[in-house]
Amino acid sequence: MAGEQLALTVLMGVFLVGVVSLVSRMENLRAYAPLTSGDAGYGDSAATGHKPSGLLRWLTTVDHKDIGILYGVYATVAFVWGGLAVMLMRVELTTPALDVLGSTGVYNGLLTSHGITMLFLFGTPIIAAFSNYFIPLLIGADDMAFPRINGIAFWLLPPAALLIWAGFFLDPLTGGTVEAAQTSWVMYAPLSAEQANQGVDLMLLGLHLSGISATLGAINFIVTIFTERSPDVNWANLDIFSWTILTQSALILFAFPLLGSAIIMLLLDRNFQTAFFAVNGGSPILWQHLFWFFGHPEVYILVLPPMGLVSWILPKFSGRKLFGYKFVIYSTLAIGVLSFGVWAHHMFSTGIDPRIRASFMAVSLAIAIPSAVKTFNWIATMWNGNIRLTAPMLFCIGFVANFVIGGITGVFLAAIPIDLVLHDTYYVVGHFHWIVMGMIAFAAFGAIYYWFPIVTGKMYQKRLAKMHFWLSEIGVVITFFAMLLLGYLGMPRRYATYEFNGLIAPLSQVTTLHQVATLGAFIILFAQIIWVFNLVQSYLEGPVVETEDPWDLKETGQYSREFEWFAEQLDSTDDDAPALAADGRGEPSDD
Amino acid sequence: MSQRESETGETAGTGKLSSWPLFVALGLAVGEVGVVMAVYPLAIGGLVLFAGSVAGILTESGYAERPWRALTALSGLFVLLGLVVVWTQTGTELSTVQSALASTDTVVLRGFSITGAGVVSFAAGLAGSSITETGRAA
Repeated sequence: MAGEQLALTVLMGVFLVGVVSLVSRMENLRAYAPLTSGDAGYGDSAATGHKPSGLLRWLTTVDHKDIGILYGVYATVAFVWGGLAVMLMRVELTTPALDVLGSTGVYNGLLTSHGITMLFLFGTPIIAAFSNYFIPLLIGADDMAFPRINGIAFWLLPPAALLIWAGFFLDPLTGGTVEAAQTSWVMYAPLSAEQANQGVDLMLLGLHLSGISATLGAINFIVTIFTERSPDVNWANLDIFSWTILTQSALILFAFPLLGSAIIMLLLDRNFQTAFFAVNGGSPILWQHLFWFFGHPEVYILVLPPMGLVSWILPKFSGRKLFGYKFVIYSTLAIGVLSFGVWAHHMFSTGIDPRIRASFMAVSLAIAIPSAVKTFNWIATMWNGNIRLTAPMLFCIGFVANFVIGGITGVFLAAIPIDLVLHDTYYVVGHFHWIVMGMIAFAAFGAIYYWFPIVTGKMYQKRLAKMHFWLSEIGVVITFFAMLLLGYLGMPRRYATYEFNGLIAPLSQVTTLHQVATLGAFIILFAQIIWVFNLVQSYLEGPVVETEDPWDLKETGQYSREFEWFAEQLDSTDDDAPALAADGRGEPSDD
Repeated sequence: MSQRESETGETAGTGKLSSWPLFVALGLAVGEVGVVMAVYPLAIGGLVLFAGSVAGILTESGYAERPWRALTALSGLFVLLGLVVVWTQTGTELSTVQSALASTDTVVLRGFSITGAGVVSFAAGLAGSSITETGRAA
């Protein structure tokens, strides 16, 4: 033990010396790099042309566009991890017995990792990728209000991911002493408090870091949108995406610190003999209250910005302005406020006071109203419009269609009597996957295609992008509709096996539906392989975009500020190096 | 670290790049893991890195002229925080704190590791400011 500590101490010392030498190198770089007054942000810099090359650039950048790209790459890696985890689970579920993974513990670990990865390491960061890159462009700011804090917020995420996944890496290294956490993403006590596995502690620490990251980012966006807007951008003409990011940031500000506090309480319970969530002396239900007071706003933290993306992109290909711009904003704010008053609808079956349940049911049902306002406004925007079915538009339409099913299944679940029947079944899993995959991921795909020319200076392969959409939509419908039906049959969620008595549920139908869901999951997987291939291939070899208006937005008067910025880059970039700022060749001035 | 100063006395940063955010994040992550998981070298190293990077980033962004005062302030905070953790197990009497140095209680050791990080940071701050005064870095 002492030897290990000594070795670690030496390693730590070597690491710190490495840090000092790297920082010294950066200081030397400063000696010839252009300077700017530190506390005035970066906007006043007259010369921003110089950036170090290679890895050093990406490790030291505080440029909002670079950080946006880092977030995007990070989210994609997390998406791959979470996707592969669920593919293993889906293969296991093709038969009722435990035939593939070898132990239920592995399944539970994959389940936990899939949930936390997709929500915290893919969902939040992919939104941050768009907001970092485009909010300053959309509001006419030179950069984020606090560029260095922006950098800190991103760099907290890689350690967070390593810690959240640490159990998988440490399992073979420690001979199974440290395993992947098996708590599911909700980490309910007393299970999470009593699992004597250090993988859970590491996961909690990782989650804590990701919460700090999200909070730092939220503060940055609030300050940026309030104080860094161009003089001609006011609250009446602020773009819809910025409105949703502003609302999301406010939700993060109130929700994530609470998650951080609850995680610290859980860590104290696990390591320091406190009893916050203990059955004797504490309250496991307290965990559920604290977790869902964060957890339900988290749903809107994840879905409001994608709604903003769709509200921004869908009109571009409908040839019309967004119908009811003001009311879409009001509905965003309404959802933001209501989101803090619905958390106990996750706890209808826990035995809480029926009067409390009824009030939470009422507020939960009320959220359907602003949600419907948005849906009807999107449909009204398309109505009689000149619709162009580009890949971004297809994903937006898919988003609206999936929201109708994902949203309405949610309205059913908000009703206490229905929830008591369907709680903890695959119906719930189906419902929220229509939302998370069918909406959040779809909006992200649409936005990636829409802004691909700006970020890379290239155009993607349109046929592959449409294949990506259609296979994803078909896969989503097959997989998640099967899950809704599995829920109706009473299939409980979070189980690796389902060898139950045929009197409980019709086993053959359940097996068939699981196989159908797995088939759909493979279709989704195939679609995402096409997506990644398309992005990489198009980035490397795609046709260079030479027009400032690749989507012909000027025809309908929808040419917007980020493309104006794009046009400036085209004007100022050397003909020999047409690829833009993002890829590091020929960084032009922002001014 | 040398910092160039502008004519107004503000320390100038460089457009669009900074070496500190990565290390602020790494320091926080490593320090947090070290303290909670009771891996003391990580706790001390991570917290020292965190304190140093915070001092560095404050200086770079013009909130401080030199990093040493911020580093010393943070080191004081760590010493105090570490002692509070130790006191939760020993009480505030000096003799019990001294006898706790030989303790194997992991909470006490965690407290001492935070205090240790403060002491190392304080020493770094002291050394840094004395070097600055002799003119080796300004």
